[in-house]
Amino acid sequence: MSLINYSSREINCKIVYYGPGLCGKTTNLQHIYSRVPQDTRGKMISLATEMDRTLFFDFLPLELGQIRGFRTRFHLYTVPGQVYYNASRKLILKGVDGLVFVADSQIDRFEANIESLVNMHDNLAEHGLSSEKVPLVIQYNKRDLPRVVSVPDLEKELNPKGVPFYEAVALRGTGVFDTLKLTCKLVLKTLG
Amino acid sequence: MVKGNWALFEEDFYSMTLILQTLMRTANSRSVMLIDKTGQLISTVGTPPDFDVISFSSLAAADFGANAELAKMVGEKDFATLVHQGKDDSLYLSMIANRVILVVLFDKKTSLGLARLKAKRASDDLQVVLDKVFNKLQYKNEDIATTTLGADFAAEAESEIDSLFKD
Repeated sequence: MSLINYSSREINCKIVYYGPGLCGKTTNLQHIYSRVPQDTRGKMISLATEMDRTLFFDFLPLELGQIRGFRTRFHLYTVPGQVYYNASRKLILKGVDGLVFVADSQIDRFEANIESLVNMHDNLAEHGLSSEKVPLVIQYNKRDLPRVVSVPDLEKELNPKGVPFYEAVALRGTGVFDTLKLTCKLVLKTLG
Repeated sequence: MVKGNWALFEEDFYSMTLILQTLMRTANSRSVMLIDKTGQLISTVGTPPDFDVISFSSLAAADFGANAELAKMVGEKDFATLVHQGKDDSLYLSMIANRVILVVLFDKKTSLGLARLKAKRASDDLQVVLDKVFNKLQYKNEDIATTTLGADFAAEAESEIDSLFKD
């Protein structure tokens, strides 16, 4: 949940990147980290295994600047995608203001996307939240790979409510900022 | 429990900062931080830490979150306090009102016992202020942001976002 501090005139919001293992959540954050000006980003923290798989979370604070006198920050988190890290995923969703669901477009990851999306809704429900209350943007990643599911088929299965979506190739940065920009805007709309 | 956003106003923030300053002084600690349990820094007093306090806050919240789950697994309701003892610097963390985390960063100039004692007293004082804050929010929360941030906020934020996130 966003924290508005009227005394220090700060607004902090939390955005979580969710999705199955190896779908590109960390890659999204790495691209953002590499492209935003140095003075607007803090240290990127990655709690990962030696094999570079996210163990607990990645964290990247971004400073938007002053908006109507408020220093506005977004805290970007990723969750570990692997099925058995559910306790960690649940923890990270605590206080979430905006969600990005990164889906892996590859045919053989189709089921994993569905499983992860169901898991996200279950975990949100445990915090008394739902995707109706928390802004959600879907990113169909890895669109450059050869064996991918068509966007209409992904939409049909993963996006029955018709939330906004972007196609992406996070490794090259395609679609990364579109996804983030829209999510940030939707989050700030809930504040103002 | 308050749902949705929460906001801190001048008077409450000032009261909290005063409590933190007293704690820092009486416990002879290096610095004291107050962090929302979702990982957002609320206030910090004392020697400005030479590390990224924003990242520190997210890790402290995660530390507490993970330990709370461990507590449940061993049949405890929670672990209300955590201590991380290093060779030179140590951390004492405690959860207040199930909502914010008080962090005392101290070195060899003080002892864990003193930090714990003074933090306990500060926690009680902070609890009173926090109760007041949450009571206020319970009634006002629904429209607190829209009435005070102004209707133009979202529009202005959009243009800031566009200029910052140019690919």
